[in-house]
Amino acid sequence: MDSLSSLIDGFGTALTPLNLLWAAIGVLLGTAIGVLPGIGPAMAVALLLPVTYGLDPTGAFIMFAGIYYGGMFGGSTTSILLNTPGESAAVVAAIEGNPMARAGRGAQALAAAACGHFAGGMIGTILLVVLAPTVASLAVDIGAPDYFAIMVLAFIAVTSVLGSSRIRGFASLLIGLTLGLVGLDQMTGQQRLTFGSLQLADGIDVVIVAVGLFAIGEALWVAAHLRRTAGESIPVGRPWLGKAELRRTWKPWLRGPLIGFPFGAIPAGGAEIPTFLSYVTEKRLSKHRDEFGRGAIEGVAGPESASSASAAGTLVSMLTLGLPTTAVAAVMLAAFQQYGIQPGPLLFEREPELVWGLIASLFVGMVLLLVLNLPLAPVWAKLLRIPRPYLYAGILFFAAVGAYAVGGEPLDLVILLIIGLIGLGMRRYGLPVLPAVIGVILGPAAEQQLRRALQISDGSVTGLVNTPFSITVYAVILVLLGWPWIKRVLSRGRAARAED
Amino acid sequence: MSTTGTDPTAPPRDSGLRALLRGRSELGVCLILLVLGVLVLTDAITMDTDITQRGPIGPTTVPIVVGVLLLVVAVLLAVDVLRGGRGEAEGGEDIDLTEPGDWRTVALLAGVFLANAVLIGPLGFPISGALLFWGSAYALGSRNLTRDPLIAAVLSLVTYVVFNNLLGVPLPGGPLMGVL
Amino acid sequence: MSSVRARTPLALLGAVLIVLLGPPLLTSGSGTDTGTSIPGLQFMVPNTPGGGYDITARTAAKSIEDAGLNHNVEVFNLPGAGGTVGLSRMVNEHGNGKLAMSMGLGVVGAVHTNHAPSGLGDTTPIARLTEEPDIVVVAKDSKYKTFEQLLADWKKNPRKMPVGGGSSAGGPDHLAPMLMAKAAGITPKSVNYVPFDGGGELLASVLGGKVAFGVSGVGEYLDQIKSGELRLLAVTGPKRVEGLDAPTLKEAGVDTEFTNWRGIVAPPGLTDVEREKLTRLFTELHGSQQWKDALKRNGWSDAFLTGDKFGTFLAAQDRRVDTVLKELGL
Repeated sequence: MDSLSSLIDGFGTALTPLNLLWAAIGVLLGTAIGVLPGIGPAMAVALLLPVTYGLDPTGAFIMFAGIYYGGMFGGSTTSILLNTPGESAAVVAAIEGNPMARAGRGAQALAAAACGHFAGGMIGTILLVVLAPTVASLAVDIGAPDYFAIMVLAFIAVTSVLGSSRIRGFASLLIGLTLGLVGLDQMTGQQRLTFGSLQLADGIDVVIVAVGLFAIGEALWVAAHLRRTAGESIPVGRPWLGKAELRRTWKPWLRGPLIGFPFGAIPAGGAEIPTFLSYVTEKRLSKHRDEFGRGAIEGVAGPESASSASAAGTLVSMLTLGLPTTAVAAVMLAAFQQYGIQPGPLLFEREPELVWGLIASLFVGMVLLLVLNLPLAPVWAKLLRIPRPYLYAGILFFAAVGAYAVGGEPLDLVILLIIGLIGLGMRRYGLPVLPAVIGVILGPAAEQQLRRALQISDGSVTGLVNTPFSITVYAVILVLLGWPWIKRVLSRGRAARAED
Repeated sequence: MSTTGTDPTAPPRDSGLRALLRGRSELGVCLILLVLGVLVLTDAITMDTDITQRGPIGPTTVPIVVGVLLLVVAVLLAVDVLRGGRGEAEGGEDIDLTEPGDWRTVALLAGVFLANAVLIGPLGFPISGALLFWGSAYALGSRNLTRDPLIAAVLSLVTYVVFNNLLGVPLPGGPLMGVL
Repeated sequence: MSSVRARTPLALLGAVLIVLLGPPLLTSGSGTDTGTSIPGLQFMVPNTPGGGYDITARTAAKSIEDAGLNHNVEVFNLPGAGGTVGLSRMVNEHGNGKLAMSMGLGVVGAVHTNHAPSGLGDTTPIARLTEEPDIVVVAKDSKYKTFEQLLADWKKNPRKMPVGGGSSAGGPDHLAPMLMAKAAGITPKSVNYVPFDGGGELLASVLGGKVAFGVSGVGEYLDQIKSGELRLLAVTGPKRVEGLDAPTLKEAGVDTEFTNWRGIVAPPGLTDVEREKLTRLFTELHGSQQWKDALKRNGWSDAFLTGDKFGTFLAAQDRRVDTVLKELGL
């Protein structure tokens, strides 16, 4: 196999002591900076770009790979421990991860996330090696109608996270969709719900919404009902994953990449939608469905694995097509250009040593990340033992830093507070928070793809169903929706036969 | 249709009037949804759409759908509440729902947070950030006047240095920047 | 008790001193500026990391540092509304001689489409740095082999020919096909322009044949053109691009030209000395070997223009964009 021998050469490059050192530094820096509020992997890579200027290209990109994966992992750490996701891919990790941390299982949540990242990254990178050219050529065939079909599927999946009261879940989803409407209309540039403010023109970032609803809303709600009598701190619990937990997590770890990798590879895929879909899938398949929302470990393991695999998928289209599908990939593309290297169809021929060294160092980086983070998980988890007033004051403080650091706009802080107050109200009146966040993620994306598909077909509705892919997805949706009915018909038929 | 569990925030023996008020407070959510729906619809209808549009879906279509759904859900929720449906207040490790809501603390925290947004420009991040941390800790019941301000100041300054000096993410330094 | 009471004011005093004195003492470069260098110089990027203005600003900052023109240049992003959020901040930083913003034609368009309160006329123009023509590309298996074939079909039925571009309405990739349509006798309003989220998403749509043709900056797809994945039909600038086998629009029978450009502006209200310093910094950058190498690497053409000439150019661009967008009803 051609790519296999190239990969072995790549390991030769990646495992030189110096390159190993760069990978280790990258992983450390990436984790350290990803943990900071408001700084996701894209920002981390952009900020650390100057650090690599002194290195040769291979060393620099090996370090980048470490920063990228490290940043993603650091992002989920704050998400799990403090309920403040630093980037959109880590939003889902907060849903189950934070309740776990509150219940004294923070170390396990972090370990499940670390192993998830490891599994997702490993499988994703293997798929990258094996499938890169095939996936890349398939990815460009996915167009707006196909995306829209996936969005419809995702919206149907939302119904499973609406909570015990459908009407309240739906109200929450609509609040999210409304927040998602704010900003310039992507197709025509019309202002919607911006009230003439330029700061609102780009819409409200999903991270601001998530931090507002999760972290600020939670802190205010806790403040309203703070348990003042029992001063016992959160137990740290066992540092490692037990057998029972491993039994629950290994399947999600392996399933995550199947959802995450294809989404990363297609343009406009990103990590939000696959992490959400992975969450919903795990909820459906879990034997512990009642635990979801209160700290189900599958809900951390699956999405985290999907998010890392989607990062690997991103690299496929970037390396083979020069096609940046996420902000991180765009920054890395810019970094490649700084070194006079143009990723694209010719990259594998022109710079084989660099590319295969980079891919090999992804494997190395992931091992380093796991080795570094598993022992650290219990240490991080101890963070939650600090007294309650300091803990919640710290959450408010870091949420504010994160919101402000991104754009330097005091208005962002006001928006954050307003969304936090909405989150407080939703908790008081039993509106689930999750559908609102999903609405912000899915709403704008679905609308954009729908309108783009119609624009391309010049307004003809057939433009939505003119690809085999979209037709397949709609067929799947019909089967899913009709399943209860189909099942009834089948069982009736069987019953009738039994009577005969 | 909805969870009709007893509201644990309610004191055990309520007078009829208070119970009625409690029942009505959730109608406030319906009112907010209603107002939101009207707002979205007004914004969509007043939008100037003199722009080349392809097909049935333009910049106002989705807002109109969302706005109408908001109104519908507001009405359905109101019906649900009047029939006796109650949203279940969220529980949690640090939450004691047997106590009545302490809304003074919430107002204090929101005020401190808002003050941070207002002061971050003129006073700089280290000062406003320290006030945010100390103020929040105070509101949440920490009364150590020696330790708290020092923790707040150090935390704020360290954050400032990490972001501004080490990472190059500019944060406002305060009134003495450029003077010293 | 008394010791606690004595400690509290001390702690408060200490806290106040930390937050007041800490930042200025720990931040170097806030002292007085001497010589040619500008200590604490910052470049603001009005779009996200990885975007065009971001690459321009970071490349310029690195070249400035490497050439030893200024000790340290800090680059930060303030994205939003096509660059107009950054522009508003710029205008608010009245008199700040240590700040410069990378910008380009896209910001000119965004000011119009977003009805932004402040325009580029409110800033101090420093220098235009680079320019690049747009290109018209199709996938390798497209039926269009020449621009003339494409044009003939486009004229016949503009509504059925979706045009993909990497910028939103008012941006360069939107203006280029509109100007082309106008010059070719097609009503700009009937052009079916489909905006994509940057060059990456657009590339996928062109490769996958989702749009009839794509319009983008020449630098973005050099590699795909060379490898034969994309077929280049025309360049929009006044001259052919070296090394690329494609006619200009004029040669292909459409009498118009379009060039995207990027430059640097500073806040309003600068003293003459401050303006001179910034202009000299960029003039020296322009002369440096590091910058020349960077231009070559990125496929940018040099389009250096400073001061009042750049100001006049900005005003002329503003009028041109205004005319086009008015016709489209934006």
